[in-house]
Amino acid sequence: MIATAPSDVTPVWLTDRNTNELVDAELWHGIVDRNLADWEAEWIPDLQRRLKLLNQQKVERRFWPQSRHWDWRDKLREIERRLANLSFAIVAQDMTQAMMTIDLTKRARMPGHDGQHLVYIDFLEAAPWNRNDLAEEPARFGGCGLILINAAIQQSILEGFKGRIGLHSLPQANSFYANACGMTDLGQDATYENLRYFELDPDSARSFIEKGKGE
Amino acid sequence: MTFDINKTWCRNAGTREDGLDIGAGVIAADPMFTHEGGADESPEASRLALGRFINLMRRNQGLSIEALAGKADIEIGELLSLENNASHLPDVRTLYQLSEVFGVSQEKLMGLSGLTHANDDDYVEEAVRYAAKSASVEVLSEDEHAILNGLISVLSENAKHK
Repeated sequence: MIATAPSDVTPVWLTDRNTNELVDAELWHGIVDRNLADWEAEWIPDLQRRLKLLNQQKVERRFWPQSRHWDWRDKLREIERRLANLSFAIVAQDMTQAMMTIDLTKRARMPGHDGQHLVYIDFLEAAPWNRNDLAEEPARFGGCGLILINAAIQQSILEGFKGRIGLHSLPQANSFYANACGMTDLGQDATYENLRYFELDPDSARSFIEKGKGE
Repeated sequence: MTFDINKTWCRNAGTREDGLDIGAGVIAADPMFTHEGGADESPEASRLALGRFINLMRRNQGLSIEALAGKADIEIGELLSLENNASHLPDVRTLYQLSEVFGVSQEKLMGLSGLTHANDDDYVEEAVRYAAKSASVEVLSEDEHAILNGLISVLSENAKHK
């Protein structure tokens, strides 16, 4: 049964793209029923509205957001009894802004690190209104992706994996993982729908956490 | 156990993430996405024409890349890529914003970019022809020389960085 409350809550802040001000937010350790309700009642209708706009603008389907089929309730149901799978959600202004699930059983592939444990990010997605690939409306909140990657790294450190993380990026997000996250691009993975596979080694993970930490 | 993520880090994260999409995970067997992106399949010539058009419009309005990016509310990197990288696939929003600033058809900009396939694509061919004519053969002006020298000094191996 999907939990009704997160096991922990870390305070975080998102950037409101309209005002450029920070807004209070929370990183929930564990996706709970309330997040799935937001996904069903708010994300899906908003996504459909934006897909309709893309269709009206005659944007080809291959350029539509690739995660549009994702069923978060299904994903959570699949992992709810597994100890080696964890999930996170970011909540701000009483609404779920992004979600992520991770797997602790996968191993690194990067030369020099292959075979080492890492945190593998199964799925990571922002709410439709926080995305740039959906019609002309600008993203509402920024920072969701980097905060979730930060959480994955810190979980990796907690597990004794030294900050190692890995993931398969959606094509529209390759630049985010290569440039904003500083992950190593290990190329297209023929066993994984030809998505590009990225990994972060312990040194890069440390830099990621320290970068921009300030005072 | 909670994590240590401070406010300054989050502020920087918001800036670093601007304009980027973040999704990760298996696509769930959408047959449309069994290959990489799709950018390679779009006609490079029409993208070159799009880049050339944006470059000429920007210069005609006396705007720097930075100024146009600010005016159109788009990322500087996105604009640079659009002008100079024919394999770069722009966002729908970027083309919408540019069409608003330049007062031209968003639909046609999308056709040039390869985001859409136009039924009537004569304008694509025509735009490519115009773009080919616009390629400069002039020697660099003094100002361009100065800018080029500045760029060379910044990009040289021995350049000192602050």
